[in-house]
Amino acid sequence: MTKKQRALGLLIVLFPFVAFFVSLSIGVVHIPLDGVLKSLLSPIFPSLKQGLPENYLGIVLGVRLPRLLLALLAGAGLSVSGASLQALSKNPLVNEYILGISSGAAFGASLSIVIFRQSFPPQISAFVFAVAAVMIVLLISRNSDSPIVSLLLTGIIVSAFFSALLSLVEFFASPYALQGLFYWLMGNLGWPGWGALSISLPLTAVGTAGLILMRWRMNVLSMSDEEARSLGVNIRREKLMVIFLATLVTAAVTSVAGIIGWVGLIVPHLVRMMVGVDNRRVVPLSAAMGAGYLILADDLARGLASSFEIPVGIFTSLIGIPFFILLLRKSKRIWL
Amino acid sequence: MSIWVKDLRFDYRNFSLHIQNLRFEAAKLTSIVGPNGAGKTTLLKCLCAILPIARDSLFLDRRDIALLSAEERARLIAYVPQEHSSAFNYAVQDFVLMGRAAYVSLFSTPSAADVEIALEALEYVGLRRYAARPYFELSSGERRLVLIARALAQKSDILILDEPTSFLDPKHETELMDLARRLAVEKKKTVLVTLHNLDMAVKYSDVIVFMKKGGVVAGGSPDDILTEPLLESVYEIKMNILRHDGRKFIVK
Repeated sequence: MTKKQRALGLLIVLFPFVAFFVSLSIGVVHIPLDGVLKSLLSPIFPSLKQGLPENYLGIVLGVRLPRLLLALLAGAGLSVSGASLQALSKNPLVNEYILGISSGAAFGASLSIVIFRQSFPPQISAFVFAVAAVMIVLLISRNSDSPIVSLLLTGIIVSAFFSALLSLVEFFASPYALQGLFYWLMGNLGWPGWGALSISLPLTAVGTAGLILMRWRMNVLSMSDEEARSLGVNIRREKLMVIFLATLVTAAVTSVAGIIGWVGLIVPHLVRMMVGVDNRRVVPLSAAMGAGYLILADDLARGLASSFEIPVGIFTSLIGIPFFILLLRKSKRIWL
Repeated sequence: MSIWVKDLRFDYRNFSLHIQNLRFEAAKLTSIVGPNGAGKTTLLKCLCAILPIARDSLFLDRRDIALLSAEERARLIAYVPQEHSSAFNYAVQDFVLMGRAAYVSLFSTPSAADVEIALEALEYVGLRRYAARPYFELSSGERRLVLIARALAQKSDILILDEPTSFLDPKHETELMDLARRLAVEKKKTVLVTLHNLDMAVKYSDVIVFMKKGGVVAGGSPDDILTEPLLESVYEIKMNILRHDGRKFIVK
């Protein structure tokens, strides 16, 4: 690792902390940074409450903190899943969207929300259909002569299939439910309620942590199957493990925040450009970069208009894609 | 550690491998030669369990290879493929470190000791200075050496090389076979190599095994078994054996 890579790595680690802190002050009500700090520390040091405007505590701790926590974990989780799936499929173009996981999860969650009125937890429904989607993709593309092309192609097809199923659910939804569903599907981090969060946040955290622990294994899994097997990897078991964890994370995030696109593709690539391809660095730093990235995107969603919120999923795509194209064109050498 | 192949069968759609009885001795370099499609690579891939094998057909000393776990097998047998391709361009050192996969548990990362073993392996093949270079910046000869270093990091008794000299110039070809020879002599490894260059096989091997149409035709030391009729029956063209300085040379 060069000195430059080390420095960039450090910056990536600091990024989500700075973004998190600054974002607590941004919103309809602007709160100066010292106000943010005092509000954050007030549960530990009650004396700090004196002199703070009454509404600060409620806004910082009650409204913005949970939302930013969700953004943090969702961004970290989606990015780590993306990095892992890219290593696993030996294909840097893959993400949870392309493998059909997002569409499967979106269909599953909406099925639960619209048809079963949440009597069946949307997280579980999202997970089941996400697993179904990714398994179909992997089974169809398994024994192909050109694995990369066939993986992308089947991914697109299976995604389209689950999107059609989703349209069917939308068709049968009441106009009121449809509006909510539509807004949720575009990806937003608005308050889903503690009930949903108490399931989704732990699942996201556990899945992300598991993938980060497997970070070196991702290097070995990114070798051809023959090589990995001769190196002593039980490929079937370990691949299923990674897919299980990545799908768990994506389903947990999608069921509370809808489809937040492109994070899982763009963030790991940015990280690779900065620190190289070793997954021991790429996977954990993707978590940090993804967390910061989604927090900033959510700032735009919350802050651009004062009377309404724009779904954050629109921004992750609108910022991410041009930024990615710019980097693609600027970087002369290939970073992979 | 020696390898015993006992009644091994493997069937593809239009090809079947069947070897009744074959032994590979420890601390020796054995070359497997024969025309294209003779089943050399299939045999190697069976030995590494890259291809699924039946029980009671392959043994390491007394242990049945089919019953070993993936980790156990990788600690005993290392496989060097003809080439490696990947979308990710790892640094040479990180690449060699992957040879430690059988020793590092699923949820952890290699220790300092593992890194040291990887660097020693690079040192042994003479490429320590390239540790930080990206793999795909190396020449094809150097890449072969890195693949061998990765196999050495597995610390296995058995080393299997699939056509290690194909596409190499004479200098790199010689260096690579010298290295394979040293591994058998110095490190007492059981080294198996598939080769097309018969002169290389004669010069470097303790034992040569001739294969044809999925079976073994002959096996033994080059001095004992190499005859013009054998070559002609295996390769189906006329070949002459010339002697010079006490060595045999093959002229087509």
